[in-house]
Amino acid sequence: MIPFSTLSERHLVYAYLVVWILQFGYAGWLAVQWKKTPRD
Amino acid sequence: MRFVTGPTPPPHDRIKPVKDSRKSTSLAGIWFGLTMLVMAYGFYQAMVAPKEATMGNLYRVFFYHFPHTILSFIFPYINCVASLLFIFWRQSKPELAAKADAWAVASAEITVVYSTVGLATGMLWGRAAWGIWWAWDARLTTYLLLWLLYVSYMMLRSFAAGGQTAMVASVLGVFAAIDVPICYMSIHWWRTQHPAPVFGGGDGSGIDKSMASAVLWNVAAFLMWGIFILGWRYALERRRQHQDNLATEAMLRGDIGSENA
Repeated sequence: MIPFSTLSERHLVYAYLVVWILQFGYAGWLAVQWKKTPRD
Repeated sequence: MRFVTGPTPPPHDRIKPVKDSRKSTSLAGIWFGLTMLVMAYGFYQAMVAPKEATMGNLYRVFFYHFPHTILSFIFPYINCVASLLFIFWRQSKPELAAKADAWAVASAEITVVYSTVGLATGMLWGRAAWGIWWAWDARLTTYLLLWLLYVSYMMLRSFAAGGQTAMVASVLGVFAAIDVPICYMSIHWWRTQHPAPVFGGGDGSGIDKSMASAVLWNVAAFLMWGIFILGWRYALERRRQHQDNLATEAMLRGDIGSENA
């Protein structure tokens, strides 16, 4: 169970989520652009 | 006689089709797999490291905040070197200049991603540890400036029209990199809200051995991830350059064709 009751616990969870959302979101955007841009 | 009045052809007008060889695709796949493993192990290390004496579990933000901030000081130098190479090669070696420009775009975009993470995790940590989201101290202000400089670089690349965009962006990239050493040294030069450097900060700095492996694994993980997305973004930019080149050639051929008809 993820601790989420205090402000510190919530902000720790948010910080990790922000990292994954931004990094994997960016990689997802790259994948979409890669598919949309023809090679030749 | 009618003159062709299309946009100025880009300096990379002799670029060849991008080669995504099977070998480089497999290498990228292996690198991605290794990165995911290291990232997962880094996360595990971050979770099993002991609690910190004053901040408790909250200090675990450091394991992600530190690698992103440090790496966001490295990517701008790739942008700076690539921008300088573009400026030097743009006339004499247009194909190499196009490659340098693609590295510059890729590294600027990765700088924005990493510094956004650095800012966001720092603010979340600051709100819980200091009770405030933001302080206009030297480190935070110069770091915000770094973020703004590379966001403006990307906006310039996206919205500026004309054949000189890459040149103007290169000049901006060279000057933007000057903020990096100022931001890095700010916590050495001025004692403000942001804590003193954990590594290399003199007497009393450093991290306990039991926490060090979590830092190292996460630095390795996000360095590997950064290399992966930097290479991918570079390859995408090379594809875009090729497509732009084809579009310009087609437009010029179209104008000449209508002139003959």
